[in-house]
Amino acid sequence: MPADVPGSRSERTEGAARPGGVASAPEGGPSQAVDSVLDALDPDRDRPANVIETHGLGLSFGSKPVLSSIDMQFGRGTITALIGPTGSGKSTFLRSLNRMNDKVVGFRHEGDATLDGRSIWDPGTDLLDLRRRVGMLFQRPNPFPMSIRDNVVAGVRAHRIAKGKQLDVVAEQRLRKVGLWDAVKDRLHDTPFRLSGGQQQLLCLARALAVGPDVLLLDEPTSSLDPISTEYIEAMLAELVPALTLIVVTHNLGQARRVSHRTMFFYDGQLVEQGPTEDLFERPTNLQTERYVMGRFG
Amino acid sequence: MATLEGAADQQSAAPGRHVELRRPPRLARMAGVLRAGETGAWKWGARVAVLLPFAALAFVVAVLAVKAYSAVEVNGTGFFTGAAWKIGSTYAATTRTDGVAHPVGSSYGAWPLIAGTLQTSAIAVIIALPISIGCAFALTERLPRWVSRPLGFAIELLAGVPSVVLGLWGVLTFGPALSKTLYPFIADHLPNVPVLSFFKGTVGHGEGLLTGSLVLTLMIVPIITATTADLFRQVPSLSKEGGEALGMTDFEVANRITLRWVRSGIIGATVLGLGRALGETMALVLTVGAIFQLAPNVYSPMSTIAAAIATQLDSSLTDGTGFAVASIAELALVLAVISVFVNLVARWIVHHTSRLGGPVGRGT
Repeated sequence: MPADVPGSRSERTEGAARPGGVASAPEGGPSQAVDSVLDALDPDRDRPANVIETHGLGLSFGSKPVLSSIDMQFGRGTITALIGPTGSGKSTFLRSLNRMNDKVVGFRHEGDATLDGRSIWDPGTDLLDLRRRVGMLFQRPNPFPMSIRDNVVAGVRAHRIAKGKQLDVVAEQRLRKVGLWDAVKDRLHDTPFRLSGGQQQLLCLARALAVGPDVLLLDEPTSSLDPISTEYIEAMLAELVPALTLIVVTHNLGQARRVSHRTMFFYDGQLVEQGPTEDLFERPTNLQTERYVMGRFG
Repeated sequence: MATLEGAADQQSAAPGRHVELRRPPRLARMAGVLRAGETGAWKWGARVAVLLPFAALAFVVAVLAVKAYSAVEVNGTGFFTGAAWKIGSTYAATTRTDGVAHPVGSSYGAWPLIAGTLQTSAIAVIIALPISIGCAFALTERLPRWVSRPLGFAIELLAGVPSVVLGLWGVLTFGPALSKTLYPFIADHLPNVPVLSFFKGTVGHGEGLLTGSLVLTLMIVPIITATTADLFRQVPSLSKEGGEALGMTDFEVANRITLRWVRSGIIGATVLGLGRALGETMALVLTVGAIFQLAPNVYSPMSTIAAAIATQLDSSLTDGTGFAVASIAELALVLAVISVFVNLVARWIVHHTSRLGGPVGRGT
């Protein structure tokens, strides 16, 4: 597994900027033709460049406002990091994007969030399909109490994407994708709870990937893992773009710098500053941002 | 010692005061000696405590076995197959079989009682289990707190209602009411196929197998509900959220995740309820009609082992040879064996279903 995430960052940024991942085609006539053919093949060409947008999104629980008027665009195939001190509202923001907050008593929202141009709260939006398309990885591994193989295909089964023998194929494919196949191929029917924390989190990643999401929300995905597993998962995230769009909440500033293309800094329910990760860390325009990324408070 | 040092620390923290550590007073020194003995006392106390239940069980079974010995010898396998329970003539001369004295014409066949015990318990558990899981689920996951708290409290109160009260209500009100409403409906509408045909036929007046089973159901629902609700509360919310985030419906999350977490625990809870149902006496004495027969249908009067022991002991004491009491003891022994057997089977099931489960509900 490549551990050279920092070095390859700028290259990936470029690749991600052009959906389809054709990063460095040489100049000249034939290559332009190739480009146009590739563009025609690009499955995303008819879709908006921003997979998720929020327009004046405000959230509150009861009478307590948690976030106010967030405007943000998440470009297709990019990784966005959400940073900020505890209680700044970044997790709440993240969990709203697949409507995980809806059932919290007293939850209200104003403004809007769109997925491919369509409001996620639109009455015509199927909540279950929204969650299939906007997957989630949590701060601790949360395997289901079923076999490793059944864990991977749990969502596939629920959405009736595949059945019978196909499930085995899906399971193997996704486990290979996250690099877990060799470790678990002989115990697919065993409990997942004897896997290490890092392996369990990879299993959850395979499970989330199995239903074919467009976007993956990651809520401090490595906060409970050891450094080696963390490094591995970060490298894994780098491989998921540009096919997927990732939004990562993290308390680990180094992680935000290493993996993300853009960074959003939340403070006290406000989106204080957002921009390309390098700019935000090197040349923050806001004093709070500067204090935070310099580690003066947290 | 620690407390002395702690006190000294506190005092020395006060400015300008110096306190010397003194030798602890005599009482404290004696306490110190006792403390040294604590470990041993604790260890042995625990060993004795853990042995007590085993000793009690062994003692009870041994006494029952001794009491029942003559009956086991004479009744033989007929005890498990025969259907007649007769003390015989206590006025005529006694006779002897295999050297054991008993009244002329005595005959002890417990098959209807054994079957009745299993029938009432099985019906009660089969009805109570889905109700309890539903209740527990509603209490922990669906209802707002201000509803679920009083409701949970009410369900627990139901567990505290004395069985004789429930039995009396069952035979005076509940049974007669059902025999005029629900029973005819079930009897008329169920198809005449095996198993279900047991629910057809004359419905009687509300004293019988089904009435007894339903009263039993009311008694074990609180037990299974309370245990299951506790299990549901322990299911990690992150696991359930994982299911929701994957796009599962509430039902799928409940069915595929929440229930799987607690599956083995629910079996344990069911066994608790089953144990109660197998041994329940007074409610059944009052509601099942207390007739020693294999119920021809589910509405017929019948009896169970526990009910039979309670109702028969009095007349059995009139048997001067003591054989009737020995047979009652044999009944009790059979009931004890059934209970232990059911527990063992349940443990075996728990062991074999918890393989994939997490830590919740294990070892119940």
